[in-house]
Parts: sequence; structure tokens; C-alpha cells
Amino acid sequence: MKASFKYAIIFLSPLFFILGILYFMTFWTIYISFTDWVGMKPNYSLAGLKWYEYMLSSEKFWVSLKNNILWLLVFIAPTAVLGLLIAYVLELYIVRGESVYRAIFLYPTALSFVVTGTLWAWIYDPANGVLNSILSALGFDTSKLGWICDPNIAIYCLIAAAIWQYTGFAIVLFQSALRGGYLKNIIEAALVDGASGWKLLRYIIIPNIRSAFVIVAALLAIFSLKVFDLVYVMTQGGPGISTYVLAFYMYMTTFWQQMVSLGAAISVVIFSLSMIIIIPYSYYALKRWLLR
Amino acid sequence: MRRVRKSNLLAYIVLTILAVLWFIPLYLALTTSLKTPREVSEMNYLAPPAQPQIENYVDAWNSGIGLGLFNSIIISIPTTLICLLLGSWSGYFLSRFRFKHAPLVFFIATIATFMPYQIVLIPITQLIASLNLGQSHLGLIFAYTLLNTPLATLVTATFFTTIPKELEEAAYIDGCGPIRIYWNIILPVAKPALASAAILVFTQVWNEFLIALTLSTPSTKPVTPIVAELKGNYVAQWHIQMAGAVLAVLPPLILFLFMGKYFIRGLLAGTLKA
Repeated sequence: MKASFKYAIIFLSPLFFILGILYFMTFWTIYISFTDWVGMKPNYSLAGLKWYEYMLSSEKFWVSLKNNILWLLVFIAPTAVLGLLIAYVLELYIVRGESVYRAIFLYPTALSFVVTGTLWAWIYDPANGVLNSILSALGFDTSKLGWICDPNIAIYCLIAAAIWQYTGFAIVLFQSALRGGYLKNIIEAALVDGASGWKLLRYIIIPNIRSAFVIVAALLAIFSLKVFDLVYVMTQGGPGISTYVLAFYMYMTTFWQQMVSLGAAISVVIFSLSMIIIIPYSYYALKRWLLR
Repeated sequence: MRRVRKSNLLAYIVLTILAVLWFIPLYLALTTSLKTPREVSEMNYLAPPAQPQIENYVDAWNSGIGLGLFNSIIISIPTTLICLLLGSWSGYFLSRFRFKHAPLVFFIATIATFMPYQIVLIPITQLIASLNLGQSHLGLIFAYTLLNTPLATLVTATFFTTIPKELEEAAYIDGCGPIRIYWNIILPVAKPALASAAILVFTQVWNEFLIALTLSTPSTKPVTPIVAELKGNYVAQWHIQMAGAVLAVLPPLILFLFMGKYFIRGLLAGTLKA
């Protein structure tokens, strides 16, 4: 139907109002990052790049950035690959109990990070955690296994917990791609021709599932850049500052140290990095939307 | 792919091992939440409780989880309803009417849907304070409504595009205006889609932590920051921590278990992959 101007106003004004506030707040944060706000009371006098320079000279910033990049590198690929393999097996080799398996892999996506963080912090606890208690029952020497208390591996422990939580999400997306009309037809034809196992995965599924792969990778990347809850609950950035991530650094700076302009500058960094993924992703979503 | 599925023993074995690994954390949380402190201190975590201790749940409830659950309900349910009402209202127009800037509206709403909360966190605290909403649940309801309405709009709009156009055209010829069509035709037909969108938004708001941590006061604190506090207040008392954790995840977990189809559909729609 063609839209009349009157109805456009009536129907879209709530959305425009809300988008207006959100975009205004985005610009407001960018503005604050160039001011000199320290302490409880806002100070809007301009300070130029002062807080960006401060940020770039801070060790916490570089550790945080390194950890976010590590998160991108170590979290996305295993989650996506595991998700694809499990989705593939569920779709093609599980005749009975598929929904039960799927529910078991998927339930973590219903939980909050605070709860999974609490759970995994206990699992990783070096003194009386689950992992070390099982390992020592099996006869291993666990005295050197500090898990989240070991600054060298703590970040990987956090990432492992995130992989556990997000694999189900990847499975659902890949399963829906495998069930999509086009791919489903190719797979069925290949199966009739006698293709199976590795060959089917390598030559039929992987080349044809690229768009689902891009979606999964993009969404996991967006998550990686704003990860906060798991760090806050499991390690508080520690030991030392070894598990600092940008979102945690931003929170501590803004709300504990009251260096609000610095916090805004860190937010701008998180925002800019996320936009590298969000803008193309939104464009891609839009293109699909227009094809409907 | 029902027709072509082939049972495979190796697939079952590998998948079962993985499924056990995936299930263990939930199993540990449930069993440990029912153990006595002595049983917990024995560190025989995989063993089931000798005698289920319901008192742990009472303790967790009384150390804040009860209040947190109450606050989370007071915040999540109205937020979900408002987001769905506003979202489906604009989503209907976006999905049904042709206008020049529709792609632009879709694009800026998508960006708002995925943008990290950090970029609006400081202004939100300022806005809530200047509106004097900081001391009541309204502040959090307002913040979450702002942050989730773009998502609700796009998700409902995507769902609405699957409703056949003939349905409205008949009503249109009978003299129904767009508002009546939205209310009397689209909303009733789209009930399952609205349920998926509602579960998506509800779960998102219920599980949110950063805004909850920043904007809540001791009396309006949702359950997520309270679980985080419980972890600090009951150091190494895993039975209490786990009882609190189990209580905190019950609502979304129940939705997942009993409305799984809608949950998954909402999850997929939330990616906007169309």
C-alpha cells in the first residue's frame, strides 16, 4: 500500500522519538569525550583530545584492547566451527532425540551471563572448584592449575565459558540455513547421488553456507567487542589487570574513578570498533529486507 | 531433511559426549543447590545430594534474590509489553506501506538495535536523573524501552511481512482505516509472532546486567546484580550461590523449555537475517 503522510507520522513517530533519543545520546557521549568531566558534577568545558591522549598512554587500555582482539580471534572460530559441525550432525545423522540434543546445547543461551559467570567462576576456582576437584580425583597434580587466578590463562578460561554459552546460538543459525529451501535441495540431491560424510560437508555444505557463516561471525564479533558481564562477575578484570576488556575498563573508569570524559572516550572506541561490523551487517540485513 | 537422515553410531557417541559436557554445568548448579555445606565441602561435586536441602533456596531468597526476582518482574514485564506495542505499531507501517525513505528508517533502526550500550550509558544515567526516575523502577523500564524498541520494531516488521496482503485488502475495501487494520487484523493474526518477539525482548531485559548495575538503587535492583552480589557475600558457599543462580534463571529457562519453538524463532528473528 502507498503511505499517506498523515499515517506515516502517526505510525512512525514513537520509533522516531526513540531513535532520536538514542542517536542524540550517541552524539552526546562523543561530545563528553572531548570535555573535561571528572567527578560527580558535569564539566562541559572543552578539553580537546586530552582524554584520548590519556587513554592511549594507559596500560589498561592496551591490555583491554589486546584482550578484545584475543576474544575476536579465539572465540569466534571455535564457536562457529563447533556450531556448524553439531548442526550438520543433528540434521543428517540423528534420527531420534534431535530435539533433546538441541535443547541441551541451546539452554545456555537462555541464561544470563551473570549466572553463567557465577557457575564458571566456581568451576574454575583453583582451591575448591569443580575442575580441579575432578582432576585431582583422577590423580593429577592440580597445585599449579590456577585457571582464572593464573594471569596467563585467565582470559582463555573466560572465552571457553563464552564458547559454551554461544555454541547453541550458532547451531540454531546453521540449522536454519541447512533447512533453507535452496541448500536443502542441493544436499538432498547430493545424498541421492551417494555423497556422504566428509565429502558432503566439504564440497556441498561449506561452500554453500557462507551467508550463515557471515551472520554468525558478525554477531559473535559484535558480542566480543562489548563483552562485560562475564569479566565483571568472574574476575573483575584480574588477576592484576590481565582480563581487562574495553567495556570493563569503561565501566570502572566512569563509575568507580568518576573520570567520565575518559569513560566516554573509551565508549567511543568500543562504538567505532563495533560500527566496523554493525554498518556492513545492517546494510546486508537491509538488502535482504528489500528482497522480501 | 527427515527423508534422508541416516542413523550413525559414531555421530551418536560424539554428540552424546558433547551433550554431557554441555549439561554438566546445569547439573552441578541444580545438585549443589540442594546440598548441605558439609557435603559441598567434601568437593564430591558430581555426586547427587544425599538429602535435598530446600533451605538453601530459602536462604538465597532471603538474602536478596526474592527482592531481585520481584524487581525483575516489575521491570521486565511492562518493558516487554511497551516495546511490543510501540514496536509492532511502527513495525506494521514499516512492513506494509511503501514510502521513499523506508530503507533509511530500516537501516538506522538496525544500527540502533546492535549498537553497544556503552555509547549511551553515560547520557542515560543523566537523562534518568534529570527526569527524576532514578529512585523508582520507572528509570529502568524507561531505559530498557529505549534500548529494545528498535529491536521489537524490526522483529515484528519481519514477521508481519509473512502475513498475506489479501487479508488487509478485503478490510481496506470494506472501509477499514490502517489503525483498525493494525488492531483488528494484524495483531490477532500475528499472535504467534508476537509471542516470539515478546520472549526475545523479555529474555534480553531479564538477563541484562550493565544497565541494571548502573541504574538500580538497593530497592529497585533486578536479579542479575543481586546474583553478582551473592557471589561476593557468600564466598565459596557454592550451595547458596547456586540456589540463587537457579532461582534467577527460572523465568527465561521455563520459557525456553515450554515455549522452545517460539524461543528459537525469536532468537533467529533477533539476528534480522530475514
